[in-house]
Amino acid sequence: MATIMTVDDTASMRQMISFTLNSVGYDVIQAGDGSEALKLARDRKVDLVICDLNMPNMDGITLVKSLRALDTYKFTPILMLTTESQADKRDQGKTAGATGWIVKPFNPEQLVNVVKKVLG
Amino acid sequence: MTRLALPNRWWLWAIVAMIGSWAWTVPFVPIGVAAGSACATAIAVVLIAGYVVRRRGTEPTLASYMAADEEPEQRAPDELDSLLSRSEEIVPIPPVDQILKSMESENHRRRLEDLLRRWVDVAHRYSEAALVLRKEIHTVVQHTEQAADTISSSFQAVINKATLQAREAMELLEGTQGGLSEGAPQSLTDFIRVSDERLTKMADEVVRVADLSVQMVKELDGVQNRAQAIDGFLLDVEKLADQTSLLALNADIEAARVGEYGRGFSVVAQEVRRLSQRSHEFSDRIRQHLKEVKVGLHKTYGDMRNLSAADMEHALKIKDDVILLTRSLEDKNREVAETVGRINTISREIAQDVHNVVVSLQFHDITSQKLRGMLEPMDDLRRTLFHLMQETMAAGKNLLPQKEPAVPAKAAEASDAQTGSGDAALKKLRAVGAPTNGPSVELF
Repeated sequence: MATIMTVDDTASMRQMISFTLNSVGYDVIQAGDGSEALKLARDRKVDLVICDLNMPNMDGITLVKSLRALDTYKFTPILMLTTESQADKRDQGKTAGATGWIVKPFNPEQLVNVVKKVLG
Repeated sequence: MTRLALPNRWWLWAIVAMIGSWAWTVPFVPIGVAAGSACATAIAVVLIAGYVVRRRGTEPTLASYMAADEEPEQRAPDELDSLLSRSEEIVPIPPVDQILKSMESENHRRRLEDLLRRWVDVAHRYSEAALVLRKEIHTVVQHTEQAADTISSSFQAVINKATLQAREAMELLEGTQGGLSEGAPQSLTDFIRVSDERLTKMADEVVRVADLSVQMVKELDGVQNRAQAIDGFLLDVEKLADQTSLLALNADIEAARVGEYGRGFSVVAQEVRRLSQRSHEFSDRIRQHLKEVKVGLHKTYGDMRNLSAADMEHALKIKDDVILLTRSLEDKNREVAETVGRINTISREIAQDVHNVVVSLQFHDITSQKLRGMLEPMDDLRRTLFHLMQETMAAGKNLLPQKEPAVPAKAAEASDAQTGSGDAALKKLRAVGAPTNGPSVELF
């Protein structure tokens, strides 16, 4: 089964995402911010990244750009999961190379559907 | 109401006018006329200068304060000084309207100072309040984060356990409805079916055995009759022996009558009699055995009769019991199936509830972000207030000498009245903030 990495500075959010995706059989690893996520992503290959926008140390957009710069993550789906819903932020995410944008609070069913869709 | 006023250094004005007009007229008129004309000119110049200066002195009034965007407080003392010095130097009793005007400008200046102090005071209080608010927001964010973490991990544990429980219950219940493998019943349904089959078979067997018993009883009847017949045959045998013995006795008598010649025959007759006695003995022994056999058969017959009746009754009862038991098991099984159905429904409902909780639990992340968003404008406000205070204090050092503004009593009262709501808000905030640092349990 696919391995998914969730990146969020809020522990409860990471737990929610892990719980939701574990329940349908995905392996989930967690990272507290962009730089930690980048380190984890270099250590092992993950099949999907779900990341927050506003985080300490390294924000979501920078993380997406950094991941896209790596050969192994050029085509890996990256979903942004954030409270931000403005069009300009979305555009920023799109330009940086994000695959999708989910506005918090997420609905577990919807998240699972999106994950299934992007993982093909 | 106009009064003559003399300008500063009026004598200088007079001398200059006098010399000017005298020097100019000397070549044309006699010297006496020139001197007179010069004196008149000097008087006129002094009077005109006095009037002009007085007009100009009234000009810097309210309008100049209102318009003044550069050091109004600087200008005000200058004007006051000039007013004061002039009245001191020149006019022992200054004109009333001048005094009124100077008082008015002085009042205005004071009002502005008061206002400024109040503004600085408000700025000071609100920059403090902003700091307290910042801390409080931070605490709220931390507390909600901790609470949300605890809630979500506990919730996750609860869900995991509930899932496990449901799965085990389902396995257990599904087991009662499952299939048969390698002869051993795997489910309650199979168990019921198999036990029903076997119990029925057993009951049938018992019934068959009971039938056989009945048949055996009948056959035993036959055997007893035969035994009776044997008894009759034995009587015949005994009769035969008796007759043979009688025959031997007669032969012995006949042999004795013929004397020596019949001696041999007599021996034969005695042997025949002995044989007849022995057959009597045999017959007795056979009768004895037959009697025992008859007693045994009779007993067996009674037992068999009882047995067959009891067996039949028992077998029928077992069959009824088996039917009842099977029905009750089937009922139980139906109940189990219904329970499984209900558990499935509940599981679906739980799944929906889980979704709802997952959605709701994200409130923390959203509120935290919103609260953190409030921090930046608040810091900005605090910085702005701080700089404004600094600049104001630097601009009016004499006005606001200390950091904690030493507001004059009257102004302080006024500012308290003005900023009362802000102050109350600040106190309230501190009161709210206090318990967060206190113990979790407090008894009074």
